[in-house]
Amino acid sequence: MLELRQLCKHFGGVRAVDQVSLRVAKGEIFGLIGPNGSGKSTTVNLIAGLLLPTSGRIVLDGEDISSLATHQRVARGIARTFQNIRLFGQLTVWQNLWVAENRDRQQRAQPVMPRWFWGCEGDRERLGIALEFSGLAHKRDDLAANLSFGEQRRLELARALASQPKLLLLDEPAAGMNAQEIEELDARIRRIRDAGVTVLLIEHHMELVMAVTDRIGVLNFGQKIAEGSPAMVQNDAKVREAYLGTAAA
Amino acid sequence: MDDYLVSVLSNIGIISFVALSAYVLLLAGEVSFGQQAFFALGAYAAGIATAMLRWPLALALCLGVLVGALAAAAVGRATLRLSGLYFAMATLAFAEMMRIGFELFTWQVDVGGSLVGPNGPDGFGDIRYLFENEITPAQYMLVVYGLLAVVLAALLVLDRSRWGRVLRQAGADPVLAELQGIRVVRVRLVAAAAAGALAGLGGGLYAHLLTYVEPRNFDIMLGVHSLAYGLIGGLGTAFGPVLGVLIDIGLLESSRLFQGYRMIAFGGLVAVLLIARPRGLLDERAVHWISSRAKGLFDALAARRLDHPFRRR
Ligand SMILES: Nc1ncnc2c1ncn2[C@@H]1O[C@H](COP(=O)(O)OP(=O)(O)O)[C@@H](O)[C@H]1O
Ligand SMILES: [Mg+2]
Repeated sequence: MLELRQLCKHFGGVRAVDQVSLRVAKGEIFGLIGPNGSGKSTTVNLIAGLLLPTSGRIVLDGEDISSLATHQRVARGIARTFQNIRLFGQLTVWQNLWVAENRDRQQRAQPVMPRWFWGCEGDRERLGIALEFSGLAHKRDDLAANLSFGEQRRLELARALASQPKLLLLDEPAAGMNAQEIEELDARIRRIRDAGVTVLLIEHHMELVMAVTDRIGVLNFGQKIAEGSPAMVQNDAKVREAYLGTAAA
Repeated sequence: MDDYLVSVLSNIGIISFVALSAYVLLLAGEVSFGQQAFFALGAYAAGIATAMLRWPLALALCLGVLVGALAAAAVGRATLRLSGLYFAMATLAFAEMMRIGFELFTWQVDVGGSLVGPNGPDGFGDIRYLFENEITPAQYMLVVYGLLAVVLAALLVLDRSRWGRVLRQAGADPVLAELQGIRVVRVRLVAAAAAGALAGLGGGLYAHLLTYVEPRNFDIMLGVHSLAYGLIGGLGTAFGPVLGVLIDIGLLESSRLFQGYRMIAFGGLVAVLLIARPRGLLDERAVHWISSRAKGLFDALAARRLDHPFRRR
């Protein structure tokens, strides 16, 4: 479904992402791990279109999307969350979930004016589902800035889901969470996968990654150093070296 | 009503249009120092239409709106890909160019034995439509406030619609807005055109109120003030910029209290607010608080009614 072909992103002399190739299959949860500064967030930015690659290709369902604008990639089914929570703080929970474009062609049948002005029936339904999923229905009209940290994380996840993505990119969703919240997150990610969404999960919390992912890719200094099942990756010498920072094998 | 009050109120109403113009762009996340240019275009276009072409006022105002919108869309296309400071500088440069353009613009025609029309730095006088058609200042004030009410209502409705959400998302965080599928540049272009239309409408009204406009009416001070009105009054609702105008013109300029100190008081107010309330008195938080209170009150009243369905009998 998603394929990176020799993807590179250089910032001046820094090779943040260097010749990374990988494939994510439809319906799987793919983990992307690596030490701090190894290029994980940059990879997500490249896939979502917030950065343009120095070289290489990004292919989604057979279509080269490397040079598309962000909103065009959203229309093709890509959504993401941020490592540092990013919400519209001065808008309400419901307004945060709002998505502009509607990919559902059937809705064209509805009268133009109300649709243009207030959005489709289907939009509201879709937003309602996202709201339900966030578990914030009782705070629908609260400002996002007034939510607790955990609630903001949940809202961000729901915001990403509101556009009904095919591919969801999660950048360290467990950062700052306690054990119970991480358990809930684990269940949520599985629910998202079960709903047919492919997930690319970037995470530092190894227990979560090992438990929830089907396959894992490992980055170090911008290069992919390993790829495989959680068990394989865990026992990989290069990976251990990257994480422990020693020559221990 | 006494003449002075009518003229102050008319002025407040008209300046509110430029303030709303700058406000719409602020919502879209762009700071413009140049909305006075579209105000000037509207003033000249509407003035030419009634004084020289003998059009009726309504049509002349429409022309002002159209000219403002088209010019703003053209400028927007050229500048909206710039961001932040660069956009602000570009709008300022454009407005100054327009002002100098009007200083050079002379086009006069013979109307009933005398020359009428823009006359370079001497300005454009004899826009006597109100006088010729026996519209009193008080009646004209009602026209101004009627139009302002329509514009405010439209902006309030828009704010609750899909478009308001899109606009505020694009302004608050353009990157995140793109991730919600919004074409931010296009939204900003629409906002710029709408802002130009509002300024153009205000300009048309202004020219007919004063009967005489000159290029220096449309200098940078007007642009800075328009921007400041939204930032003082608040960006949470369209009433914000109008509140800003009320505070500045109603309180500082027109009352004797601050005579001679208006600019100092105004500057101080802006400085204090920028620190204490960067998005103005009626910011999003305040508006949210007020509207949730109002909703709570309304719900409570509705619930009481339901509790006692037969009370009224
Ligand atoms: N916008 C940027 N400009 C310059 N360097 C950057 C930028 N973004 C990331 N980098 C650098 O790229 C490298 C990878 O960063 P990042 O992708 O954030 O790593 P990770 O998410 O794996 O911790 C780091 O060395 C970082 O300093
Ligand atoms: Mg990161």
